[in-house]
Amino acid sequence: MPSFFNTWLPFIYLYGVGGIFFFTGMILIRKLKGIDMRKKKHRFWWKVMFFGYFYFMLIHAILIIAALYW
Amino acid sequence: MEKFHNIGTTTDWIVMVVYFLLVMLFGAYFGRYNRSTQDFFFGGRRFSWWLITFSIVATGVGSHSFIKYSAMGFQHGFSSSMTYMNDWFFIPFFLFGWLPIIVYTKIRSIPEYFEKRFSPSARFLATLLLVLYMVGYIGIGFLTLGKAAQPLLPEHFTLFGQTFDITLMGIIIVIAIITGIYITFGGQTAVIFTDLLQGFILLFAGLLLFVLGLDYIGGFKVFWDLLPVEWKLPLANFNNPPSFNFVGIFWQDGIAGSVGFLFMNMGLVMRFMATKSVNEGRKAATFNILAMLPISAIVVSNAGWIGKAVSIAQPDVVPPNTVPDQIFVVVANLVSHPGVFGFIMAALTAALMSTVDTLINATAAIYINDVHRPIKKYIKKKITVTEKENDKKELSAARIASIAITTLGVLSVLIFEKFPTVYEAHGFFHSTLTPPLVVAIFLGVFWKKFTPAAVMSTFVGGVALMILGNYYPAALISPFDHGTLMDVKHPYTYIRALYNLFVCSFVGVFITVTTVYQKKIVDFIKTREYHNKIFYLLNTIITVIFVSIVFDLLPFTFALLLSIVLILFISLSITYFVKYDEYKNTEGLTAWSIAKAKELFKGKPINDREGKKIIVRWKIKEGDDNTVNFSENDMKQMAAETGDLVYISDARKYLGGLKSVHSEYGTPHNEDGIVYINKEHKLTGLFIEGKLLSAEKEM
Repeated sequence: MPSFFNTWLPFIYLYGVGGIFFFTGMILIRKLKGIDMRKKKHRFWWKVMFFGYFYFMLIHAILIIAALYW
Repeated sequence: MEKFHNIGTTTDWIVMVVYFLLVMLFGAYFGRYNRSTQDFFFGGRRFSWWLITFSIVATGVGSHSFIKYSAMGFQHGFSSSMTYMNDWFFIPFFLFGWLPIIVYTKIRSIPEYFEKRFSPSARFLATLLLVLYMVGYIGIGFLTLGKAAQPLLPEHFTLFGQTFDITLMGIIIVIAIITGIYITFGGQTAVIFTDLLQGFILLFAGLLLFVLGLDYIGGFKVFWDLLPVEWKLPLANFNNPPSFNFVGIFWQDGIAGSVGFLFMNMGLVMRFMATKSVNEGRKAATFNILAMLPISAIVVSNAGWIGKAVSIAQPDVVPPNTVPDQIFVVVANLVSHPGVFGFIMAALTAALMSTVDTLINATAAIYINDVHRPIKKYIKKKITVTEKENDKKELSAARIASIAITTLGVLSVLIFEKFPTVYEAHGFFHSTLTPPLVVAIFLGVFWKKFTPAAVMSTFVGGVALMILGNYYPAALISPFDHGTLMDVKHPYTYIRALYNLFVCSFVGVFITVTTVYQKKIVDFIKTREYHNKIFYLLNTIITVIFVSIVFDLLPFTFALLLSIVLILFISLSITYFVKYDEYKNTEGLTAWSIAKAKELFKGKPINDREGKKIIVRWKIKEGDDNTVNFSENDMKQMAAETGDLVYISDARKYLGGLKSVHSEYGTPHNEDGIVYINKEHKLTGLFIEGKLLSAEKEM
C-alpha cells in the first residue's frame, strides 16, 4: 500500500494551499465589486466557480480511492 | 536507454505530408480575413466562446505536449495528468479581475498595461521579460517537435556520396522554416481557424490512440490490473523524486504556471481578446478548464500509460528502459496500422506547430506594440503616409519580426536540450521566467497601492535574488524545498518556483508598504543642490551591483547584502524619476475600478439593462455616419439607447462570429426587423446579401 506521502498528503496540500488562493480570490472579487450579485449572469458565474473547485476535488478523490481499492 | 529510429512506413509519410498541406491551405483560406493589424493579431474581437475554446485546445495540448506528458506517464503513471487538473484556483482572479481589464482597457499587449498602470520604464522591463518568456516557450515547442520527429527519421542520410547525420538541431531548423513560412502569411484569424480544426483532430487522434492501445493490451481490465498501484494515483509522491514530485510541480505549474498561462501568456490572452465580449471570454476559459483540460490530460498522457502496461506484459516489445521522450511515437507505431500512425503523428506535429505559431504571432504583436511603435514615437518620425499605408507597413514589420522571433526560438533550444526530458526543461523554464511578471501583474491588478518603485524593484531586485538562488540553491532555495532532495546537476527544477515567487512578492510588498519613507528620503535629497547627480550616481551603483550578481563576481554573503542595497536604491531612483499619479494610474486599470474601465471603454455611462438578441435583415445606408440604425421597437427589445454599443453578426451560429462587426446605435427609424449599416460595416463584417443578421446590445 502506498504511503500517505503518495496518496492523501498531495490531495490535502493541493486543495488546502490551492484553496487558500481560490477562496481569497472569491472573497476579493466580491469585495472589489468585480462580481455584482444583483446581476443574474454574475450569480451564475459565482455558482460555476464554486462548482469547479469541488468538481476537481471530487475527481481527484475518486481517482485516489479507485487506485487504492479498485 | 533504448533509442528508436526509422519508425513508420511510406504510407505514414504520405499521410503526414497530405495532412500538413491541407492544414496550411485551410489556414491560408482564413488568412484572407486579415484586413488590418487588428485582425492579424486579435482576429477583430468577434468570435464565439466555443470557437475560441477549441482553438485553445490545440494551443494547450500542443504546448503541454504529447511527448512530455507521455514521457511522464511512462515513468510515473496517471500523475502525469496533474498539471491539467490544477488550473482552477486562479479562475476568480482571471474571470472577474484580469479578463475585463484587458478587454476594457483596449490594451494590445501586456507591456502596454505596465505603461498605463506604472511607467514607460516598467513597460520596457516587462517587454524584455515577456519576450524572454515567449521565446523560451517557442524554444520548448521546437524542442518537442524535434524530439517527436527524430524517431521517425534515419540516423543519417547520404547525398552525392556524402553521409550526413540527422541531428536534433538540424530537424528543428527545418521545422522552424516551415512554421515561419506558415505564420508569416497567416495571422491570428488563420491561427484561430487552423487551431479549431486541429483541436478536434487532436482530441480524436489522442482518444483513438487510447482505444487502440487498450485493444492491443486486451481491454481496460487487463490494462488496469497490469499497472502498479503507485502508477494509478492521480497525484505524484509529495516530495520525491527530485525529477517529478507533487509539491514542486504544484508551485511551478499550479501556481506560477497557471497564473502565467492565464495572465501573461500573450498567445492565450490574445485568444480571449478575440472573443466578442467579456462574457464569451469567461465561457471560453471556464469550459476549457472544466471540460477540455481533463480530456486533454488523457489525450496527451495515455501513450505513456499504455507504454508502461506493455513494458510490464511484453518487455521485449517495449523495453522498460525506452527513452521516455520517445515513448509516444513508439506506442503510437505499435498499436496502430500504417496510415493511422501517420495520421496520429501528423495531428501531433501539426498541433505543436499551432502552439509555436500562436506564440510567434503573439510575440510579433508585442514587438509591434512595445518596440516598433514606441521607437517610432520616440524618434518622432513624420507620418507622410495614410493610416492604411502605415498599417500595411506594420503588417510587413510584423512578418519580419515573426522570422526573427522564430530564429531566437531555435537558438533557445540549445539551453533546454541539456535537460533529460522536455518536461523538466519546461518545468525549469516556468519556475525561472514566470515569477517576476506573474507577481508584478498580480499585485498591479489587485493592489491599488502597488507603485512603480515596487514593480521596478520586483523586476530588478527580485530577479537579482532569483539569480542568487540559482547560484546558491543550497543556501537560498533549500528552506522552501518541503523535504525535496537537491539534484546537484539540476537543483530544485520545480520548487525553485516557490522561492522565486516568494522573493519577488516580498520585494514588491516591502517596497510598497515603505513608500512613505522612500518619498521622505527623496524629498530630503531634492533639497540638496546636486540632487540629480546623486541619483545618476545611484543608477550607476545599481547597474554595477546587478551586473556583479548576474556574473557571480561577489562572495555569497556580500552579494546577498548588496542585493538588498540594490532593491532600496531602485525604489529611491524610481520614486525620484517617475511621475506617478495614484488616481490617474489606477482608475480603470485595477480590479477595484472595473466599472470605470467599462465606462472608459464605452466612452459614455453604461446601460446594463438586460435585453434580447434579435434577428434582422440589413440594408446599406449612404454617408459617413459610423452608427447602425434599428427601429424603435427593435431597440426596445434589446433594451438599447442611442449611443450604446452593439454587436451584429451573421445569424448562422456555426460561423462562430467570423462574419460580424461592433458598432454603436444611431438614431432609430420605424422599419421593424431592418438594420441600416454602412459600406464599411458590410466589408468588415463580411456580410453576404440576403443573409440575416443577429444583433445584441453590448453595453
